[in-house]
Amino acid sequence: MRKVIAVIEMHDVWKVYPNGVEALRGIDVRIDQGEFCYVVGPSGAGKSTFIKLMYREEKPSSGVILINGVNVKRVRDWKIPYLRRKIGVVFQDYKLLPHLTAYENVAFAMEAIEAPRRKIRSRVQEVLELVGLADRMNALPSQLSGGEQQRVSIARAIVNNPGFLIADEPTGNLDPENSWDIMYLLEEINARGTTVVMATHNKEIVNTMRKRVIAIENGVIVRDEDQGEYGYED
Amino acid sequence: MKIDTMFRHAREAFKSLKRNTWMTFAAVSAVAVTLLIFGFFLVFAFNINYLSKELDQQVAIRASIVPGASADDIEQLQKQIEQNPEVKSVTFIPKAQGLQQLKAQLGEDSKILEGLEGEENPLPDTLVIVPQNPQRIEELANKVKAHNLIEHEDHGDGVTDKLLDFSSLVRNVVLVFGLGLAVLAAFLISNTIKLTIFARRREIEIMRLVGASNWFIRWPFFIEGAFIGMLGAVFPVIIVLAFYKAALNVLTDGSQYSFIKMLPMMPLSLYVAALTTFLGVLIGIWGSVISIRRFLRV
Ligand SMILES: Nc1ncnc2c1ncn2[C@@H]1O[C@H](COP(=O)(O)OP(=O)(O)OP(=O)(O)O)[C@@H](O)[C@H]1O
Ligand SMILES: [Mg+2]
Repeated sequence: MRKVIAVIEMHDVWKVYPNGVEALRGIDVRIDQGEFCYVVGPSGAGKSTFIKLMYREEKPSSGVILINGVNVKRVRDWKIPYLRRKIGVVFQDYKLLPHLTAYENVAFAMEAIEAPRRKIRSRVQEVLELVGLADRMNALPSQLSGGEQQRVSIARAIVNNPGFLIADEPTGNLDPENSWDIMYLLEEINARGTTVVMATHNKEIVNTMRKRVIAIENGVIVRDEDQGEYGYED
Repeated sequence: MKIDTMFRHAREAFKSLKRNTWMTFAAVSAVAVTLLIFGFFLVFAFNINYLSKELDQQVAIRASIVPGASADDIEQLQKQIEQNPEVKSVTFIPKAQGLQQLKAQLGEDSKILEGLEGEENPLPDTLVIVPQNPQRIEELANKVKAHNLIEHEDHGDGVTDKLLDFSSLVRNVVLVFGLGLAVLAAFLISNTIKLTIFARRREIEIMRLVGASNWFIRWPFFIEGAFIGMLGAVFPVIIVLAFYKAALNVLTDGSQYSFIKMLPMMPLSLYVAALTTFLGVLIGIWGSVISIRRFLRV
């Protein structure tokens, strides 16, 4: 029997920011390869902090975090970039470079890790097709709708084949129709084997596209259920 | 690293230099002023060094032998002095030869020496003693003088020493002054690069997110700093060498055999250009290291 690899494991993880705020207080969680997982909870509950620990943007104050089985605490600073190559990240505000076209924005992620030039062209084309923007690849971000921009940023996040996609409120700035487009895209990416973790305030999506739900309140996981519900009234 | 990647870094660096024209200009100017002083000093130091070597070769003790000493005694004395390990060579110059040399030196004015040949020759027989180490000529001179066949002794007046003292004084002044300027230049460079880092913070954020290696992120800033340093070296090298050429023409009529000894343009120009550029690049990289450590943190 093949052992399922945990993409993320956290044991009694605390995060105290330098200003004394206890954003996370004793988190225990395990997310396996291939899962699709929502992170929900009130504003300021610690969702973004939880997510930042997953791609080592923040370090835990105490506790143990394993990313793909590797204890993050043992990874030297200069090796962190190589850890990040196995993780794609998407944000509410897309974080596209305004002076680059859709194609160039995606290619940028491959150039940054010094991928071979001949691979870049075909791979960028491929992911832009996957996100449905092959015909808009020469447009600048300012010439794209919010939903299209988010799709470019997803293309950029997965272009290096990370195996694990993290999204912090990816639909936060989008209208319902565009939000659903993004969700179908994430579901498709997940169906191809990529683990997806997504923080969200979107009740309709969570309650419709049923997945595992991790609810955080006040820095503590209060609920963790498969096919869960959103459970809040905002 | 791949050549492609290197080109990319260089492109990024040049774009930034163009974007922050004024800061680049200020930084380049600061480097240029520093290097101008350094360049003049370099030319000066090379020449002092050259001059002191030339002078060292001329340093010798001229010992006059008491009149009426026998040829045997003189030979004996010469052998004895030659045996001293401090002595490089001893040459005996009989007074007739001494007169010839004097005449040659005086050239047209040698008429005043007419009628002084033979018995009338007032010059003493002389031993010319060249020391192994010009710095210790004083000691050797005292030993030679102590000999009873030596009537009188004459050795330069420590010109070399004074020259070296003067040059080390100049060196210290330039070092302190130059170091201050170099710090200022590095600071201005680091500020220029800080602006670049600020302008490119989005790109840097994304590079970090997608896992660009730290060196990949740093390289453009190193190139930017090094290039500012290199740019700052161009004018100082031109100015210093132009001045030197002019000085060479005025002071020595371009002849190597003039009274004032100066190094010829070649290979001095190459040394000056290479060392000045090297120092410029060093200051530039120093400036980028400051800002990378302070503002980039990768
Ligand atoms: N860099 C920081 N320095 C100090 N405190 C922080 C920092 N980031 C977050 N916090 C605090 O930590 C707590 C958790 O913040 P976090 O951003 O994780 O919440 P969140 O669940 O993502 O909220 P939202 O739903 O509004 O995005 C908050 O009280 C916040 O003020
Ligand atoms: Mg958040």
